Amino acid sequence: MSGELDRRNFLSLSAAGLALSGSGFAAQTSSTKPVRLGFVGVGNRGSYHLDCALGMEGVEVVALCDIDDQKLYRGKRWVEEAGQPSPHLYGDSRTGYVQLCEKENLDCIICCTPWQYHAAVCVAAMKNNKNAVSEVPIVIKLEEAWEIVETHEKTKKWATMGLEGYGNLTLMNMIRKGLMGDVIHAEGGYVHDLRMVQHSPTEEPWRLEHSATRNGNLYPDHPMASIMRLLDINHGDRFDSLVSMSTKSVMLARYAALKYGENTPPAQRKFAQGDVNVTLLHTAGGKMCTLNFDTDTPHPREFFRVQCTKGVFMSGVGLSPRGGAPAGPAARRGQDAPGADAQAAVPAARAAGGFGSRGGLIYLDGRSPVDDQWESADAYFQEYQHPYLKSYAPKPRKAALRGHGGGGTVTPVNWERLVAALRAGRMPDYDVYDSVTSSVISPLTEKSVAGGSLPVEFPDFTKGKWKTAKQFDVE
Amino acid sequence: MSETYNRREVLQAGTLAAVAAGNALAQQQKPGEPKIIRIGIVGTGGRGTELLRNLVRLPGVKVPALCDINEKNLARAQDVVVRANMPKPEGYSRNETDWKRLCDRNDLDLVLCATPWEWHTPVCVAAMNAGKHAASEVPAAQTIEECWQLVDTSEKTGRHCAILENDCYYRETLLILNMIRQDVLGDVLFAEAGYLHDIRAVKFGVVPNGEPWRIEQSVNRNGNLYPTHPIGPLAWWMDINRGDRFSHLVSMSTKSRSLKEFAIKNLGPDDPRAKRDYKLGDVNTTLIRTEKGKTISLYHDTNTPRPKEHLLRVQGTKGVFNSQMDKVFIEGRSNHSDAENWKSVHEWEDTAEYRKQYDPKLWQEKGALAANGGHGGVDYLELYRLVKNLQEGKPLDIDVYDAAAWSVIVPLSEASVAGRSKPMDFPDFTRGRWKNRPPVDVDAIV
Repeated sequence: MSGELDRRNFLSLSAAGLALSGSGFAAQTSSTKPVRLGFVGVGNRGSYHLDCALGMEGVEVVALCDIDDQKLYRGKRWVEEAGQPSPHLYGDSRTGYVQLCEKENLDCIICCTPWQYHAAVCVAAMKNNKNAVSEVPIVIKLEEAWEIVETHEKTKKWATMGLEGYGNLTLMNMIRKGLMGDVIHAEGGYVHDLRMVQHSPTEEPWRLEHSATRNGNLYPDHPMASIMRLLDINHGDRFDSLVSMSTKSVMLARYAALKYGENTPPAQRKFAQGDVNVTLLHTAGGKMCTLNFDTDTPHPREFFRVQCTKGVFMSGVGLSPRGGAPAGPAARRGQDAPGADAQAAVPAARAAGGFGSRGGLIYLDGRSPVDDQWESADAYFQEYQHPYLKSYAPKPRKAALRGHGGGGTVTPVNWERLVAALRAGRMPDYDVYDSVTSSVISPLTEKSVAGGSLPVEFPDFTKGKWKTAKQFDVE
Repeated sequence: MSETYNRREVLQAGTLAAVAAGNALAQQQKPGEPKIIRIGIVGTGGRGTELLRNLVRLPGVKVPALCDINEKNLARAQDVVVRANMPKPEGYSRNETDWKRLCDRNDLDLVLCATPWEWHTPVCVAAMNAGKHAASEVPAAQTIEECWQLVDTSEKTGRHCAILENDCYYRETLLILNMIRQDVLGDVLFAEAGYLHDIRAVKFGVVPNGEPWRIEQSVNRNGNLYPTHPIGPLAWWMDINRGDRFSHLVSMSTKSRSLKEFAIKNLGPDDPRAKRDYKLGDVNTTLIRTEKGKTISLYHDTNTPRPKEHLLRVQGTKGVFNSQMDKVFIEGRSNHSDAENWKSVHEWEDTAEYRKQYDPKLWQEKGALAANGGHGGVDYLELYRLVKNLQEGKPLDIDVYDAAAWSVIVPLSEASVAGRSKPMDFPDFTRGRWKNRPPVDVDAIV
């Protein structure tokens, strides 16, 4: 499930050349009152978000916080270059964010620190009468998840992963319209070789520290952004338990040995994180999700599949299953090349380049033209395009976005919708309960792995409201 | 174990028969000719007959006896042998346990079992106790006790008990094994595989050659009922029972929807099969961990509409083989952008060059012979290898420890699912010998 899990995918969603009917947004976002933002963490990822915000009308960046002066002053320069007043800077200590939360008058904090500070920043924001949006994961501990929920319920402020993606809205629409029957099983994951990113001092070396001491699925949120919506998690169903299993850990030390030499400290370090982790999540409604996590092995990006009672959909980066061919065993496993039919099915998946709002492969019982054979999902995606996408037109920017995930020339949809939500005084689409449900998978998997894959109960953060909550949708 | 089957009775009878059979097994082999292997088949339905068609093509094979409760199937199988210019085999079809009489013959070296699942272990045990080698269709056993029974009986009698896992002989299985042995993929860390095959029509018997007994297995059971096709190759790649072993598993199933819906739609809402509930979850996923820290994601789905998929991904320390997509990525060989940042990209590579470079010997030498041998040739190759090892008195490629360790996934996954995915330990059927048994030698499989 690649494209859509990837931040870059927002860009593909917005840049996908969807009907350029140019109206919608201006109407939704017209308000004279500026939205005031403070940024905590303006490094690699934070600078990208900062740049997104600076490209939008009526958004003011009032304060910045980062312990790295270079990044802090780069952020200051960008704000000034955007023609806004010089932002207040908080860079003196690791608790600079607390002063920022206490002193500033803001609508929302945008938190892009290393993982371990997300929950603390969110709680500090809410306690100081501010909303917060955190990068993923919003929590890395079970207690943090409950603290966020309780603080939200007490303060009426919210903290969410409100800049996380929308997954494949059209696929969601296809399923809601009954094309594929009921969802039975989904498989997805975060498979992204980040050995270099973890080891490099200029990338995200703090990630390596998590791999040194933790073992589980440390990064569930990108795949969950889609899967939770397809499975109606917290909106009609809920996760009730999981089990998780990791391989041994050899790849991180091996990478260090190759890069720095066998006898260097990084090569001799012990890492806890297994190279491949797989988690099985079970829902109260009897659905299942197989969730993969692998940032350490040499592997191209992941793929995605959802199995329903009337059909199945799958997609993946640069991949095209041989299953497109009449599935003769010889063709499948012998020496033969895939048949012409498989070749015909290839471009759809390949052109899709991932998940996004675009194609993939589909098989529908009794509807696909050939029994037991994949077909391109493109035609179905046109027919079932999500209503929101029909009228959605991304706003162009003057310059391409900077920072990690940058490069696009339009304002990403997640930013448009976050700012609209802030103006309207409502929680983002991805709410507090969805956010902690997604991120808490990490500590739950760690507990399961540590117990030899023991089943772990999934907490119900909604306290029963999942039964009556309406289905997630984007309107 | 079936009620009609009395264990003690067979064990006692078997001991005596083993002595008698021992004499009869003395072979009258002429120099230069392959040793004669005399085979009896129990179960000559679709599968058993397919195996028989391949067996009669092998040099040195004789088929003196066949058993099936269905006389039509039996006659069809006898005809296969006659048409191969061999004497008509004696038929056994008196009752459900007539295979006992077949096992007691004194002119058989090997009994091959292709019955419905529940008879596999009883037939193999009876065969071994009567001094014959045994080979079972998959899975070889349904319970943990049956797995031990196979192992114990094999050790006690000194007879082999193989599992007929044809997937081990696919060109791709041996190709990947070769790539592992040549250190192209590095050390295996993880594999994802599954039996994903919509066989609702077969299970409900609404197509020719259906297996209506099979739907009954879905009524009261829930787990991975058919693990060995994907597991056989994985076990070879991961040195299971040969340097490593399965340590424990957890298993999870979805709800069961598709079987009942299929029955309502295809048999009508008033059919008894449309009125009952099915316990077997539509999709089952089982996670298996080995003693040495490798893991497996194993799927089982015979219920939902999906194209038959060869879901298979093997991740090694140096690269990954994705069979479903027919692609590989090998670090240092496949394209990988050099950019030292988040945008670095690993590109899938076509397998064609690898298929040429690491083509397994068995297929180079026997591929043409195997070509029309069922399931793309692997039915021929699995029997060719079984018979050849017996002729040469060599250890089997797949032995009783494999039969037990692969089949025991069935009851262990059922127990895990019943216990809300609780971890289940694998018995060590080798009793510690897995540490020193040599890994499968791909070059010796010729």
